[in-house]
Amino acid sequence: MTRSGARPVAHHIEVRGLSRTFRTTVRRPGFGGALRSLVNPERVAKHAVSGITFDVAPGELLALLGPNGAGKSTTIKMLTGILTPTSGVARVAGVVPYEDRQRNARNIGAVFGQRTQLWWDLPVRESFSILRDIYEVPRAEHATRLKEFDDLLELSSFWDTRVRHLSLGQRVRCDLAAALLHDPQVVFLDEPTIGMDVVVKEQVREFLRHQVEERGRTVLLTTHDMTEVERLAERVVLINHGRLVLDGTLDEIRRTFGSTWQVRVTPADPHTEVAPLPGIALLRREGPQAVFGPEGPGAPTVHQALKQIVERYELTDLAIDEADLEDVMRAAYVQAGPGADEV
Amino acid sequence: MAVLHAWRAARVTPLGELHSPPRVTAALLRLTVQVVLVASLWRGLYAATGTTGGLGRDQTVTYAVLAVLASRLRELDQYTGRDTVMQHMHYGTIVYWYLRPLPPQRYYALRSLGERLYGLAWALAGYAVCLPAGVVEPPGSAAVAGVFALSLLLGQWVLHYVMLVIDQLCFWTLRNGAALLILVFAQNLLSGVYAPLWFFPHWFVTMSGFLPFQATLSVPLSLYVGRIPLSEAGVQLAVQAAWVVALALFTRLLWRRAARRVISQGG
Repeated sequence: MTRSGARPVAHHIEVRGLSRTFRTTVRRPGFGGALRSLVNPERVAKHAVSGITFDVAPGELLALLGPNGAGKSTTIKMLTGILTPTSGVARVAGVVPYEDRQRNARNIGAVFGQRTQLWWDLPVRESFSILRDIYEVPRAEHATRLKEFDDLLELSSFWDTRVRHLSLGQRVRCDLAAALLHDPQVVFLDEPTIGMDVVVKEQVREFLRHQVEERGRTVLLTTHDMTEVERLAERVVLINHGRLVLDGTLDEIRRTFGSTWQVRVTPADPHTEVAPLPGIALLRREGPQAVFGPEGPGAPTVHQALKQIVERYELTDLAIDEADLEDVMRAAYVQAGPGADEV
Repeated sequence: MAVLHAWRAARVTPLGELHSPPRVTAALLRLTVQVVLVASLWRGLYAATGTTGGLGRDQTVTYAVLAVLASRLRELDQYTGRDTVMQHMHYGTIVYWYLRPLPPQRYYALRSLGERLYGLAWALAGYAVCLPAGVVEPPGSAAVAGVFALSLLLGQWVLHYVMLVIDQLCFWTLRNGAALLILVFAQNLLSGVYAPLWFFPHWFVTMSGFLPFQATLSVPLSLYVGRIPLSEAGVQLAVQAAWVVALALFTRLLWRRAARRVISQGG
């Protein structure tokens, strides 16, 4: 049996063909347009999420990635039960979240970016106590968990301060603790480290790693911070324009979208005529150096290219500029999927 | 699924106020000044007249001062604490109300209960000062006191639902500032906070009978000062109870529809 008393499930998050369509009113430009919109509003359907399917196993941290407006937050809202899908089905810890919000609430914790769930006028510890009562956490268990969170997030130095007086980093750390105080199996984090400094970000990452590896929580994380993805996630789901583009490991994403390497070489003989090789373009000359890059869809990987270059030229120096994850994601966002459908 | 210990959520607004001593001091000063001014005003107005609108001088002063004390039950500062429904909608934090095992309507009711109990403590403290000082008259009998207490309870219940309707508006309009201003004015006017309702023309009193505001304060205060005799108390209490039931059903419907509106706010 799980902590909530539910049966153990193979996947903590199951998403099958999940879609959500919003009906919105188009605002026509200008005064006349505004009047026409008032009298005869034009309604359009916007497909925020279109038939996405994926699973997250217990104790797994999955990064849900995509550009702004891709449908990440809508997906999280459906999985937390705030939003009902237009079609498809989702299960979180065995519960259909939008059909049984209260039962689902006991299984999940959530942090939505900079939106705090703490009470603005109260000291943080009072907020924690109110949440303890709402979730009916026994006092001893609450104290133990608070101690654990304090050890990892250093909360005690400011938890008697009113929330309105906390810095962003302090507040988000408190929000993370607040989201996990009732020991949820599944945690949804929608851009939790946005706007935080590097030191606090690292502390939060360490906390999340601990929650996944030591406590076995399942975490669904959305972020635009690729360092965070590299440090925390083994698997990512990439969505764009509401559609699932890729579900795989970071290596798979790199293989699919990350062919933007550059190789910088210095020939032993400065008078050597450097020429392109099959699938490898000579991008430019920089003094004694030549810079190669991939050419065309059949371009070799950086390692295959290196082999070709070293076999062809005698070199005194060689450097590889491989695309970082941010470059890879940029390429993925640009290449992936058509525009959002408007009907 | 019942949440047994969630009643402690009733502490939210009173705790916020107690953690802000300047707000407590300001509330004390405002209440003191209002009581003194209101008592002086009505005593001055009655200096050259006898009974007006069926109320004598002491009845009117008692009515007006009790109305001031009762206003403390309504006027806790949620806005400074970023805890109004409008602010939760604006900042997108309303989603957390839907992510807890305590349904939002129950959380709202508990919070409101805490506010009213805290306000009641202030009103009782003010009453405990005003009664021996002779500013307000004691109730005519134990029966009047009992009926007044019951009527005040029902009146606050009605007021809770009226405020809830205004807050629920935010799920459709995002902002309810204008509606709130209208409500506060209408409530003060039609419930007798500005002046006892008995001083208004007959048609105005009749019209206000079709609205819930009279049931919030005018009825219990009129029972207290004896302007409504005990023999009519049953009818008045029944009207108040009817408002409670009608508004409870209406706000229940609005909560259901509001749950579908939460989703569109924020990314």
